This record gives sequence, structure tokens and C-alpha cells, in this order.
Amino acid sequence: MIHLKVTNLHKRFGGNHVLKGVNFEVNGPELIGLIGPNGAGKTTLTNVLDGAIKPTSGTVYLGEERIDQLQPYQVARAGLGRTFQVTRSFRRMTVLENLYVPALAMGNTSGTAEMKEKAMDVLEFLTIDHLRNEFAQALSGGQQKLLELGRLLMLSPDVVILDEPFAGVHPRLMEVIYAYIRRVNEAGAAIIIISHQMDSIFSLSDRLLVLNFGDLIADGPPDEVKNDPAVIEAYLGSDDEEEDAA
Amino acid sequence: MKKQIPNLAGGMFLILLLVFPLVYSKGDYDYIMHIMITGFFYAILAASWSMLSGYAGQFSFGHMGFMAIGAYTTGLFCHYFYISPEPTGLCTEMGFFGQYLIVVNPIGVTSTTLTQDCLRQAMDVWGDTVKVTPMPVFLGILLGTIMGGFAGFLVGMLVLRLRAAYLALFTLGFSEILKATISAEINITRGQAGLELPPLYPDGITLLGHYYGPTAKLPPYYTMLGLLLICLLILTWLARSKFGLFVRALREDQDAAAALGVNTVRYKVLVFTVTCAMAAAAGAVQGHYVQIITPNMLFLLQMSLVVAMAVIGGIENFVAAAIGAIILQVVLELLRNSFVIGGVEVDMTIWRLVIFGLLLMITLRFFRNGLIAPIIAFFGREGVAEETVAKRSAGSQEAGS
Repeated sequence: MIHLKVTNLHKRFGGNHVLKGVNFEVNGPELIGLIGPNGAGKTTLTNVLDGAIKPTSGTVYLGEERIDQLQPYQVARAGLGRTFQVTRSFRRMTVLENLYVPALAMGNTSGTAEMKEKAMDVLEFLTIDHLRNEFAQALSGGQQKLLELGRLLMLSPDVVILDEPFAGVHPRLMEVIYAYIRRVNEAGAAIIIISHQMDSIFSLSDRLLVLNFGDLIADGPPDEVKNDPAVIEAYLGSDDEEEDAA
Repeated sequence: MKKQIPNLAGGMFLILLLVFPLVYSKGDYDYIMHIMITGFFYAILAASWSMLSGYAGQFSFGHMGFMAIGAYTTGLFCHYFYISPEPTGLCTEMGFFGQYLIVVNPIGVTSTTLTQDCLRQAMDVWGDTVKVTPMPVFLGILLGTIMGGFAGFLVGMLVLRLRAAYLALFTLGFSEILKATISAEINITRGQAGLELPPLYPDGITLLGHYYGPTAKLPPYYTMLGLLLICLLILTWLARSKFGLFVRALREDQDAAAALGVNTVRYKVLVFTVTCAMAAAAGAVQGHYVQIITPNMLFLLQMSLVVAMAVIGGIENFVAAAIGAIILQVVLELLRNSFVIGGVEVDMTIWRLVIFGLLLMITLRFFRNGLIAPIIAFFGREGVAEETVAKRSAGSQEAGS
């Protein structure tokens, strides 16, 4: 079963060709790492996938539905959820209210009691249930990351994109995030993790996608990708470049 | 129990407002009633603006524009449309159900001096044989409300991509254009000469067995208070529904809300439509109460007054904004009385505005959510911090055992 199919995706900003014909498929509940140096096009790809920006050309299918021309809220309702590189919680709303927003927007709860029960279950799992009535702005950076992940659980998406979920997070909270990723994945959702923390990415992912200057230069199991000369060159630079620099 | 204190205080305040015109009997009754009616008018504007700007984060400077749309819609409707059993043969008219809808030709500011309009010319010929009926005031108010809501819908559609300062400037521009248009179209709106409106109850009204004439203060008092309560009830219902949750999410982070499935376009347009309709309804009722409207009602100072009232009351709580508006209106009026200190007369007509400005500055500097909203929040969120600490401690003990 194909969850996500990206075909020949291009994105240009003026003369800057940020995505250069990206192709990949997500087959079933895979755990995929998306890596690449800064400026590789990872966040642009995420923004195109979630409908925040429209591609210059190419198509994106979520299951049977074409989503590349939909609005972000339609993409979310179609089943693709995402977090942001910089945490974007609703700061002047309580933790519970933060979770109610996606639940009500999706209309996937039959009543307030059920919604609250589900939200409490999510908060307990993320170990922030004691903060349920606090405003999100009272939470630490790591707790806000957990809250953002919690909102995705309320969305019950088929595909989840996590943009830098481990950045600036305490090791103890990292364990909670690992458990979260496994739980969402076991529930049947495909997960794409964007991160610069290679240890986490390599230990969690079944498959790695590597972007470099808008090109998808590698797609395969982590062990295979790790030794790919193109990937090594993208991260470490080539001998020719070193000679040129010298 | 402490959580009920704001509700109890609100209930008592409401009872006070309801019985006030029945028990107050001093010589300045009409003056005090006028202050209160105007206070309710500003309270509707401040509360609806608080929903738009404080809840939804759509910082609009065009709210008085929508208020004016309501006032001018009912004003023009009552000024130009009549029903007559006979055709005039002079005006634009349309027959229906044995009657004629008369549209009076606009003749600008000369209507009562140099030239009579077509209907007055016909009425001169008819004498008392034909009874011409003006349009019902309530229908004008309803039309004004609908027009204000429609204008809010259009502006909401136009500002979808605008945020913060750009949105404020756009709405300010809208209001200024409207003011210029009303001023320029003297032939239709009578420009700065002002458009006269019939009173709220042209034939008077009988309340509790007592007849009140068209200029009595009590009927408009209860009408404006009733409109304020209706607006607050609607806003409360909206704030407690998913609408309230979504517009607050919109305020916090529009992109994040959209990524979580919120149709941000729909809720942005909806909040403009609803709040602008409320402003228009207030403008329409106020127009019939004061019986004359001019483009000066669109002065930026008027908009600033509404913003200041909402800010001092509490921009993120429409009830606080409404209470703030009523209190400030009353205080500002009562401060008009000059007094003498050490033989020096202090002219409070000017100094009251200085005090008002200082209060606004102090509020902005030290009480970002106003003076009343934090009191409501203090009681409403009572026990939250203790609950958090207790649950965290319980969690730590469980983990430790």
C-alpha cells in the first residue's frame, strides 16, 4: 500500500531551483529519515508536501488523492500531519486547548468527553498531563515540542513529517519522543523524520532519503546510504573541492 | 466557589443596569441616561472589536467604518424609501400588493430650503388625502446590520493574506475611503450637513403601562442595553464553541492552525462578518437614537477611543472590554466638571483626556491584558497552578516508588 507518492517535484524561487525533480514513494508505515546539509531543500520539500507552498511542477499523491494543489488544512484533513522546525504551539491557549484544535478541526470525535479522554491519554503518554490547564507559553522548549507532537496524535494522520524533533531536547524527553515515534508508527502511520542528529536518525530509520541542493542523491537502508560516496561527498566535500580550496 | 465570583459580579452589574433607569430620578436624568446609552454603544463596539482583534488577532482599524455602514444604510433607507397607496408620478416608484414603493430623488443639502424632493411635491398636491408611510425603523436597522456584515465579509476576503501592520493600515484605509466617499456624495448623503434619521420609536412606545414619547431616553436605553446583551451572548456562545478555539489558534499561529486542519480562510472571514455586523447594528441603533449622522463618526479619534476602551478593559476578553467601555464612558463624561484648587480653576474638559491618555499608557506598560480581564482570569483560573504542582508531585512520587 502506497502512503505517499512524490513524482518529479520541482520548486523554484525566482532563479533559485530549490527542488530539482524529487521522486520517492512511501510504502506503508515506514520510518524514513530525511537528511541533507543546510540548504538542501528539506524544509521546502516539507512545505510543498503539506500545501504551505505550491510546487512549480510535479505531483504528490497521498493514497489515491492528489494533494499538491490543496490548501494546508485540506492536506491535514487528507491525512498528512507535520511539526515545524521551530516549535509553533498556540502559546496563549492551554495545553488541552492546543490538543482540541486538531480534534475539532478533523471532526473525528463524537463528543467533548471522548475528546478530553483522548487528549488526556495523549498527554499522559507524553508525560505532560500535569500541565493540561497551563498556557502553552508556560511550558519549557522540550515540553512544547512534546505538545506539538501531541497535537499530531489528535490528528491521527497516515503520514507524519517531524521537522527536527530532537533539536534542543533534554535526553530524558528524547526517550519520550522515541516512544512517540514508535507508537505512531505501530498505529500504521508512515513517519518522515528530518534531523541533523545522525545518531537518532540512523538508529530509528528503516530507510534514509538524502537531499543535496534540491537533488535526491540517495534513497535506501541507513547502512547502505552511510557508505554512499555521493552522500559522503555532500556532507564532507570532495577531494577536488579541497584541492580547489587549497 | 471563587470561580463563580466573576459570574456573580457580572449578574449584579447587569441587575444594576436594568433597574438603574427605574430608580434614578435626579434632575440630570436625561443627561445620565444619554451617557449610559452612549456607553452601551461603545461597549458593543469594544466587545466586537475585542473578538476581532483580541481573540482572532485581526487588528482592524476599520471598525468605525462598519459602524458607519450600519448607520448610513438605515439612514439612507429611511430617508429615501416610502410606501404610498398612490403613485406620485414624479419619483422612481414600483407597485406591489396595491401599494407603491417610492424612491425619493436625492437633492443634497437643499431639500429643506431651496428645492423640495419629488415626494414632498406630490404630498403638497395630495394634501391630507393620501397617507404616505415611512419605512419601519427596525427594518432599516436589520438592513444596516446585514450590510455591515456583508462589508465585513468582503473586507475579510480582501485581507486574507494581510497580517499585523498591513492589516491595520488596510482597514484604516478602508475607513478613510468610506469617510471621504460619504463626505463627497453630498447629493445622496448630505455630506457634512448630516443625514437626519427618524427616532428609534417614531410613534413612541408603551412600556409597563407607561407611554414614552419618541424623544424619551428610557426606550433607547433598554434597546441599546438589549443589543449589547444579545451581542455578548452571541460572542460568548462563539467563544465557547469551536469557532472561539479556532480563531484563537488563528491569532496564535495561522500556519500551524492550517497544518492542523483548521480552515483559516473560513474562520477569518467569519469573524470579520460577525463582528462587523455587530458594529453595524450598534451604529444603526445609535444613528436612530441621536437622529443625525455625519462622516465625523468615522474620525480616527473615534476608532482610537474604541481601541483604548478595549485595551483598558482587556483586549482578550470581550466582556472585560464591554465593561471597560461603559465605565470609561461614564468616567470621561463625569470628569467634564471643572473644579478649583487653591484658587486655580482646572479645566477638566481638556485634562480628562490627559488622564485618559495616561491611564492608557500605564495599562499598556504594566497591564498588557487590561485592568478588568486579569481580575476575571484570576478567579477563572483559580487553582490551576496548585493543580499542576500537585499532579507533578504525585507523578514524581509514583516514579520514585
